[in-house]
Amino acid sequence: MRFAVDTGGTFTDLVVEDAAGTAHVFKARTTPDDPIAGMLDALGQAAAAFGEPLEAFLGRGTALLHGTTHAINAIITGRTARTALLTTEGHGDMLVLREGGRAETFNFTHAFPEPYIPRSLTFEIPERIMADGSVRTPLDEAAVVAVLDRLRAAKVEAVAVCLLWSIVNPAHEERVGALIARHLPGVPFTLSHRLNPAVREFRRASSAAVDASLKPAMGRYMVALEDRLRAAGFGGRVLVVTSQAGVIDAADAAEAPIHIVNSGPSMAPLAGRHYAAASDPGRDAIVADTGGTTYDVSLVRGGTIPKTRETWIGPRFRGIMLGFPWVDVKSVGAGGGSIGWVDGGGLLHVGPASAGAVPGPACYGRGGTAPTLTDAAVALGYIDPDYFLGGSMPLDPGRARAALAPLATRLGMGLEATAEAIVAIATENRVQAILDITVKQGIDPREAVLVGGGGAAGLNSVKIARRLGCPRLIVPELGAALSAAGALMSDLKAEYHAAHVTNTRAFDFAGVGRTLAALRARCAAFAEGPGRGAAGTTVTLKADARYDTQVWEIEVPLAGTGIDGPDDLAAFVEAFHTAHQALFSFRDPDSAIEVIGWTAEVTCAIARGPDLRVARPATLPGRTARPVHFADGGWRDVAVHRLEALGPGDAVAGPAIVENDFTTVVIDPGATARRGADGTLVVDLSPAVVAAPTLMTEGAP
Amino acid sequence: MDPVSLSLLNNRFEGVARKMANTLLRTGRSGVLNIARDFSCCIVTAGGDLLAANEGLPIHVLSGPDIMARVMTEFAPDLRRGDAFLNNSPYHGCSHAADHTILVPVLDEDGRHRFTVLAKAHQADIGNSIPTTYHGSAQDVYEEGALIFPSVQVQRDYRTNADFVRMCRMRIRVPDQWWGDFLAMLGAARIGEQEIMAMAAEVGWDRLSDFATEWLDYSERRMDEALRALPAGRVTRTSTHDRFPGTPEDGIPVKVTVEIDPAAGRIAVDLTDNMDCLPCGLNLSEACSRTAAMVGIFNAIDHTVPKNAGAFRRIDLRLRENCVVGIPRHPTSCSVATTNVADRVANPVQCAIAEIAEGHGMAECGAVIPPSIAVISGIHPKTGAPFVNQLFLGMTAGAAAPHADAWITIGHVGNAGMCNLDSVELDELRQPIFVRARALIPDTEGAGTTTGAPSMAVEYGPVGCDISVGYVSDGNVNAALGARGGGTGGRSAQLRIRPDGTREPLDACAQVTLHDGETILSISCGGGGYGPPFARAPELVARDVTLGRITAERARTVYGVALGPDGQPDHAATRALRAKG
Repeated sequence: MRFAVDTGGTFTDLVVEDAAGTAHVFKARTTPDDPIAGMLDALGQAAAAFGEPLEAFLGRGTALLHGTTHAINAIITGRTARTALLTTEGHGDMLVLREGGRAETFNFTHAFPEPYIPRSLTFEIPERIMADGSVRTPLDEAAVVAVLDRLRAAKVEAVAVCLLWSIVNPAHEERVGALIARHLPGVPFTLSHRLNPAVREFRRASSAAVDASLKPAMGRYMVALEDRLRAAGFGGRVLVVTSQAGVIDAADAAEAPIHIVNSGPSMAPLAGRHYAAASDPGRDAIVADTGGTTYDVSLVRGGTIPKTRETWIGPRFRGIMLGFPWVDVKSVGAGGGSIGWVDGGGLLHVGPASAGAVPGPACYGRGGTAPTLTDAAVALGYIDPDYFLGGSMPLDPGRARAALAPLATRLGMGLEATAEAIVAIATENRVQAILDITVKQGIDPREAVLVGGGGAAGLNSVKIARRLGCPRLIVPELGAALSAAGALMSDLKAEYHAAHVTNTRAFDFAGVGRTLAALRARCAAFAEGPGRGAAGTTVTLKADARYDTQVWEIEVPLAGTGIDGPDDLAAFVEAFHTAHQALFSFRDPDSAIEVIGWTAEVTCAIARGPDLRVARPATLPGRTARPVHFADGGWRDVAVHRLEALGPGDAVAGPAIVENDFTTVVIDPGATARRGADGTLVVDLSPAVVAAPTLMTEGAP
Repeated sequence: MDPVSLSLLNNRFEGVARKMANTLLRTGRSGVLNIARDFSCCIVTAGGDLLAANEGLPIHVLSGPDIMARVMTEFAPDLRRGDAFLNNSPYHGCSHAADHTILVPVLDEDGRHRFTVLAKAHQADIGNSIPTTYHGSAQDVYEEGALIFPSVQVQRDYRTNADFVRMCRMRIRVPDQWWGDFLAMLGAARIGEQEIMAMAAEVGWDRLSDFATEWLDYSERRMDEALRALPAGRVTRTSTHDRFPGTPEDGIPVKVTVEIDPAAGRIAVDLTDNMDCLPCGLNLSEACSRTAAMVGIFNAIDHTVPKNAGAFRRIDLRLRENCVVGIPRHPTSCSVATTNVADRVANPVQCAIAEIAEGHGMAECGAVIPPSIAVISGIHPKTGAPFVNQLFLGMTAGAAAPHADAWITIGHVGNAGMCNLDSVELDELRQPIFVRARALIPDTEGAGTTTGAPSMAVEYGPVGCDISVGYVSDGNVNAALGARGGGTGGRSAQLRIRPDGTREPLDACAQVTLHDGETILSISCGGGGYGPPFARAPELVARDVTLGRITAERARTVYGVALGPDGQPDHAATRALRAKG
């Protein structure tokens, strides 16, 4: 038996995978001050449902997979360790200056962002290594020791070290690390070249700073997590979901906590990939996870989940740059709590402001008065107010309508038309978020399947799929707990990176060979260590490459185990041109290609087969009907189907509603839904009539 | 058209501009493009009205695309799908010769011209007589030396004219880099074209045209509303560009008169009372004269007003021909039109609005182009290959806003902070240079209730070779001015540091050769403050001291804030200091 626990902002989701491979879903309130208590509450509910004492129930568990927003919340709320940064002399403003850039050209209401570590806790170290690894200024060890004395006096709890070109010659960083260990014993530190050996000092410094600042608290959390689970009777392995949609042992997460910063949102794409592959093998997928505040979009391209290095916590350019790849998830303020409002020119907007969990949408009856997307959905009859979360949380449709009324007056529209308009704008906001990320990753939504995850996904997913021209929408059986389901599907995973710059004009076969051999050796060590006993191990090698003089790399997988000769090189060059064309619509076949970094990813399979089904409730209500408002034709009574009651092949023609305890799916007029063999609700949409973009290929004359 | 459809279609047009811009950023070859984001993408109507643009450099798009699109149809009335035009002519709507602009007309199935998409990108090199795209001392366009393309057809039937490419390859330094950037721009424009065609296939061409009309009307209403919220007033301000080769002894004073008429919902900017065009590269193109004035306006008012031809209907710009900040006549050189003198137009406009309307407007941003963002060139000692590239090692210059301290890395007013900052490591990897230091300079911020940006010092030099460094640094003499009692920002400066440590001041507008072992120390301008420094919150002043931005001495003398031994404000002593004045 395995447990997957997703600690979210409001609820802690637990999916129990029993010995027969059946999933059982439970929800408990998240306890922000002590998240482990909420986890134990959920496990207690499960034990009760199974009719077993907690200790015996937990004793049957072999693994607990944990996705947590603990680390990211610590960063957002500033509850991280008091951390100092040591950097190269002359470059102490590295974190202050960032990488430049700004988002809104004419908006001067935002102050310049403060650096992650204040300038007053940043210290310059006399030393300098050059781009070729040579030492221009030797490390002044006495100066380092003097700085460490100041850190002690300043009660610093963690130290990040980022020296220029440590990725080429790590001697100075290593020596500074040794001096910290000696002079500040017990103070955790992070050396940038070990954590994130990538060119671009700001990103590397930022990675090191965030990592170091999390080490004390995450170390304590991981120890407490294991201890309390053990005390409660759990004897299995505790694994934590990483930002890269893998899992690592809790103890390893404590060693490099930056890997779990985006633990929360990285699980949904894994589950989405699984369900999309089951429904539409070989097709790219767009995975949307709908929350109360945000709408998170990720992708599956060619069976893999794309990652990004543009990782900001908070707004782009103003937030905190992790400088570390994570699953490319785009979050927009377009969740169910997004508020509708009208600007001075009479134009309707929805979001990004959200009613959040407190006070929440007006229909929650907890003091909210602003009209939200959820209120619009209630006013249109999409959501059954008496059957929200299986009836455990009744909603107030009167308050929803009252909240919408002023907006309707302002717009000079009817109440339903106003609600429809809110849904339409929210749909468009979500569509733009999807377009933004698909464009960046080179996916054509008109050829992709849309996966609707999150409890509120079903309200407008059919509309979103239509607008995007997606041929198909799927809502998985475990869609409402997509993240926890994803945790159950994750494998042990580690990624190693090395900077070694070369150019196809004079390719350094020997240097690249050495670099890749070292990366493969680290993968082998991982497979023999944490990965021992796994069902299978795969190692993937990738190059970060770009056309000569471009600055933004794209990641190109290598076909074999390296680039050992002209044939391998030719294959790599062609793979690069193809990837570039797919992303940006053109190739430049005469240009040299520059590689600046190499990555090896090792995956050790621990997830079970793809047969996870949800336990069927003992009793099911029959088919009913209720009035729902649609833009084309107003109010009408439409059939309401219970998801679990639909057999494979049963077709439901829109307009209709399909719902269960956790979710409601609106099947708009003209769409048809059916249940797939794996329990997924599949909505087929007529193909869109739009031309595919023409691709351009040109050689230099 | 109902407001919902209006909003939806606007989102989609903005999405097209974003998609174009992303393509250009990610695929561009030269640093000026892929680091500095010195490019823009926009969509104009068939009639040339600006409809939607990406969040790009403000000096690029507000005016210029409109003129270029009209010039395109005037010169080539027989448009068809697959056409593309290149325009970099400051006499035909382009900002300056360095900004190559690709225009692609978007035609419906019947061959009717519906929209034009533009991708404009500053090039690393344009074949000037010296290896820089900012030729400040050029007497005229002939000395400037750039190839000028006054709306020249470069594609028909989606095929590139090879004759034109050969010409460029013979004239433009690092031709492969130029070709890569050309492909990136063309790719961006074609993506814009395809996206609009796909949208039309979905909703119909006529609906897209209706949208354009109504969106511009909506934008005009928003502009009207924003202007009615301001007090009436008329203010004249002057901002002076430093003396450069080819300018008068006292530099170029730029006088702007701004008049707000809230009752009519209109704003006027008069630039006519200024000197004639000069025999140097500092003259503004018409596009830059118009845009710079509008940048000052839009920086100063409600930032949510859409910036397009609809909003522009509420702006009255007065320009005159053959004026240094007006409409230049061929062969006047406009080599440096997007930065130096253009900033001297935008800055006083936003200050004038601040003087008329408290809580609006801004102080002045600092001037550019210091050597930290110079165009450098040379021969790489390892490969023997020539290189030319613009560095973006750092410029600060941010002006204080009414309710927020400066965005430090604003660059200059026409850039709005869009420019990325080079990674020291990437620069050292790419060129044979060494960056010794890059740091903010204490006590150089424009003091105020809200503060301007401090100056930045950047020191770098060649490794194993000589390099040529081209820059045009305004602000050595005329600092960024404050608004409503705010102080001035730090001045710019530039020095050569020899291997023995001796320092030699360098000219403000120069092409300097640095020898191996030497470095150049570049000091960028700070930005002006807004409101009296004595009104600044003492806690913020204390924080600035803790962070090393200002000294305790400056806190006391300039801000009237005394600090206790714990670094926190001593409120009693502060009150006493401030009462004394």
